Amino acid sequence: MLAIDRHAWTSRWQDRHPAEKLLLGGGLLLISITLPPLTTGPLVFVIMGLATIAGAGVPASAFLRVIAIPGAFLLTSAPFLAISLNFSHGIRLSFSPAGLETALQVVMRSLAAVSCLAFLTLTTPIIDLLPLLRRLGVPQVIVEIMLLIYRLVFVFVERATSGQQAQAARQGYSSLGRSIQSLGLLIAGLFQRSLERARRLETGLAARGFEGELSVLTPARTLSRPRLVGVGGVLLAVALAGILLDRVTP
Amino acid sequence: MSSPILAVHGLEYVYPGGIQALKGLDLTITKGRKLALLGFNGCGKTTLLLHLNGTLKPRRGTITIDGQPAAYDRRARTVWRGRVGLVLQEPDDQLFSASVYQDVSFGPLNLGLSEPEVRARIKESLDALQIGHLAERATHMLSFGQKKRVAIAGILAMRPEILILDEPNAGLDPCGVTQLLAALQRLHALGTTLVFSTHDVDLAYAWADEVAIFGEGTVLRQGAAVEVLADRELLRAAGLKAPLILELAQELLGEAGDWPTGGPPRSRAALLAVIRATVNRLQANREVELFCQPRRVGLLKSKP
Repeated sequence: MLAIDRHAWTSRWQDRHPAEKLLLGGGLLLISITLPPLTTGPLVFVIMGLATIAGAGVPASAFLRVIAIPGAFLLTSAPFLAISLNFSHGIRLSFSPAGLETALQVVMRSLAAVSCLAFLTLTTPIIDLLPLLRRLGVPQVIVEIMLLIYRLVFVFVERATSGQQAQAARQGYSSLGRSIQSLGLLIAGLFQRSLERARRLETGLAARGFEGELSVLTPARTLSRPRLVGVGGVLLAVALAGILLDRVTP
Repeated sequence: MSSPILAVHGLEYVYPGGIQALKGLDLTITKGRKLALLGFNGCGKTTLLLHLNGTLKPRRGTITIDGQPAAYDRRARTVWRGRVGLVLQEPDDQLFSASVYQDVSFGPLNLGLSEPEVRARIKESLDALQIGHLAERATHMLSFGQKKRVAIAGILAMRPEILILDEPNAGLDPCGVTQLLAALQRLHALGTTLVFSTHDVDLAYAWADEVAIFGEGTVLRQGAAVEVLADRELLRAAGLKAPLILELAQELLGEAGDWPTGGPPRSRAALLAVIRATVNRLQANREVELFCQPRRVGLLKSKP
């Protein structure tokens, strides 16, 4: 998760307007879910891969790693879709061509959808999407909580890591028993420190005029019309190509 | 003589749990000055700072702003915090947003400013601290020194009259301290009153107009930095050491009185200049000769 976040903040497209990226990723996601998967799936996957790696400059290894986990689940479970179980004459396992096609469809559709999400998460920091959420009508409180959680998760992970390292440096994890004890102490300590931190954060916010609302501005990003048109063109082309190719192939 | 904008008198504060952090403390903040609060850890500096922007309410004693007693209702506190900006010691306590730009926008938005004005202020305060290039970065990917400057920028964007910093140099490398001081100096030149707590006597001596020496929950003495920090008894009582540069100057050149530049040197460069000037003068008058040996350097009286 931390690695994904790092790529999102350092990608070449980090300062592109989030709506542009959302339109591209979300649009292709929609296409891959609704249109014939055997033709649109590979197209979407390739386009998303190219956009992420060649466009946004995210290393290919990062893109593949994000795909790998859901991909592994898919590849291990898809074969079972091609096999059917028949109980009429005892237990019979059979391999059906129809099942094979379903399996292929599921794999294509899922991989395409996952690649869209990978594109979004690797090029857009989550908090860039918050103003969009706000505009889509998500209540302010929820957006604020997301903002705080996102920030504090990193502080928390940092504290937990350094606490764990400090314990390890004093042989806190030298045996199983000690490890359990150390971990318990660490968690208890983190809990207490988190409460204390929350109180101090309140002080810090109060010093800046906090009156119950965490309103913030994001850097002004211009929606580029040519880029939007380009994205629209890509979506249209993929959709048409998907449908036409599906008609052509038997 | 300019007037005090913020003054506290007889301040007492007890933390829940019974620890008395302030025991009748007096302090005056004068417009346009740089005031250093000096004292050991746990002497009540931070507790005092939290009183100076109305975060904590004293159990006893008074706080006056422009001569008027401070009020603690919501509106008064908002105005108060608009005038007095407090930067906490730990930047992570202050940075709540994951993006630098968003975080800096928070304060000015709370002042009810318009969006273009807020954007202008964000740029201005980031530029003032020379961190404009960090605007689009993630808070959690910054170094400690960068975080610290972002935290200060978040307060600066509110354009406070008084900027209060809790241990601004703590945890910064020498280069970071120099950059920070340069930025603060620019703000000061524009008219911001600066108050900072520290236990770095050398920093206070080199940089502050005024210092206040803390005892346990009280201010032992407040006055001009050069005078107060020359008071060795007081410093000893407060658990502090004399400023190195002052001590060196006194040791090498005798007690105060005949400083060539009018006052004791306050910076490394000034100290070196004083030593050079003194040696030159003595040599010109043929009172001494410069004596140099590989292992020993000293001044010898000329033979008659």
